[in-house]
Amino acid sequence: MRDATEQDFDDIVMKSDKPVLVDFWAPWCGPCKALAPTLEELAEEYADEMEIVKVDIEANPALATRFGVRGIPLLMVVRDGAEQARTFGTISRSRLDAFVEANVGTAG
Amino acid sequence: MTDIAFLGDAAIKTQALARLRSHIEAGTFVIFPAWEDGKANVIGALVEADDKQAFAQQYGYPIAFATALEMIVNAFKVVPAAEDFVGALLERTPVGADLSRVVPQVLAYLLERPDIVALTARHAEMERCRRSVLALHQRVIAGEEPDRKEWKSARLAAVATSDTITDDAHARLAGLIVEAAAWPATMRSVLHDTLGACGRLEIQLMMDAIGWTDADESRVFKIREQAEVDGRMADLEGLDRVLALLDHDDPELARGFRERLDQFSKLGETYQTVGWKFVELIEQAPPAASPERL
Repeated sequence: MRDATEQDFDDIVMKSDKPVLVDFWAPWCGPCKALAPTLEELAEEYADEMEIVKVDIEANPALATRFGVRGIPLLMVVRDGAEQARTFGTISRSRLDAFVEANVGTAG
Repeated sequence: MTDIAFLGDAAIKTQALARLRSHIEAGTFVIFPAWEDGKANVIGALVEADDKQAFAQQYGYPIAFATALEMIVNAFKVVPAAEDFVGALLERTPVGADLSRVVPQVLAYLLERPDIVALTARHAEMERCRRSVLALHQRVIAGEEPDRKEWKSARLAAVATSDTITDDAHARLAGLIVEAAAWPATMRSVLHDTLGACGRLEIQLMMDAIGWTDADESRVFKIREQAEVDGRMADLEGLDRVLALLDHDDPELARGFRERLDQFSKLGETYQTVGWKFVELIEQAPPAASPERL
């Protein structure tokens, strides 16, 4: 997992060869903190298929505005430079896996 | 992760018990926070940090168990009961026991609970999903290692099936338990998520039993929120203020809210039962074949 900022977001996310799961979060967000270990697991499991990139919306408010982030945690799949899907709020590990499977796909 | 209790070293068990007892004697064992200003919960007391992974590594408990342990201990609600549970857990964990099967055993136990089976059985496909996830855990308990594709297939089927249940809230919540459990026990969040899904079912059953709805909950919230704006009954605080506001504005809602509070205070039974089930299974776990430090 890596962090993206307003300065490097396009290079890291929009120009990525792989699909990217963007995690919009903030330091004060409890549910975001609770989601972090799940994303770490997901990053390991899907290391070959996609990148996971974290965006702190407090430090990068322009990205929150650009993508219409009205609540967090918000997970967004970007593929070939365009948003493909998003899910908002607390999500179970199994539901997150199904979300990624539907929008990224894996070798199994 | 070794999954070998206390890494096979009696001195590590002695250290764990000493750390717990020192916090209990000092009155610094707490439910929350994990580790702050000398206060410690089950994780903080034993590893002196808010670090579940360190807990699993230092004491040999499975990572999924360590991840769910706070949730289990918190269900005891009061510090003395939580202290007793943690003390029993450590005391009854045999040094060098192979703990690698206890998480799948508990997940299988949850998937076989009669109340959950009764709910999944209302929908043939959901019941098939429950059985397929249960079978995977039973294979692990028997020493097999189902591959990633088998788990994924069972999991995606359970998620898809839960989504088809739109007219039976309790069966859908049972479906969420099945899908949460559809991971190998080495996945750190599997037990935490499965217990969380059990908790949601427990809450829904309780709310339905007393006729308390989300709309009632929302009405209470709005009354409290409005009072924050207009300053009504500001001489009271917390729950006393909420109850006084409800008594004044909507006595029937106040009666329901008191019942809801009473019933919520009794929640957590599932977690406590699972906690003691763990103690029982850990106590019966066989010695590891090749303990690292025996």
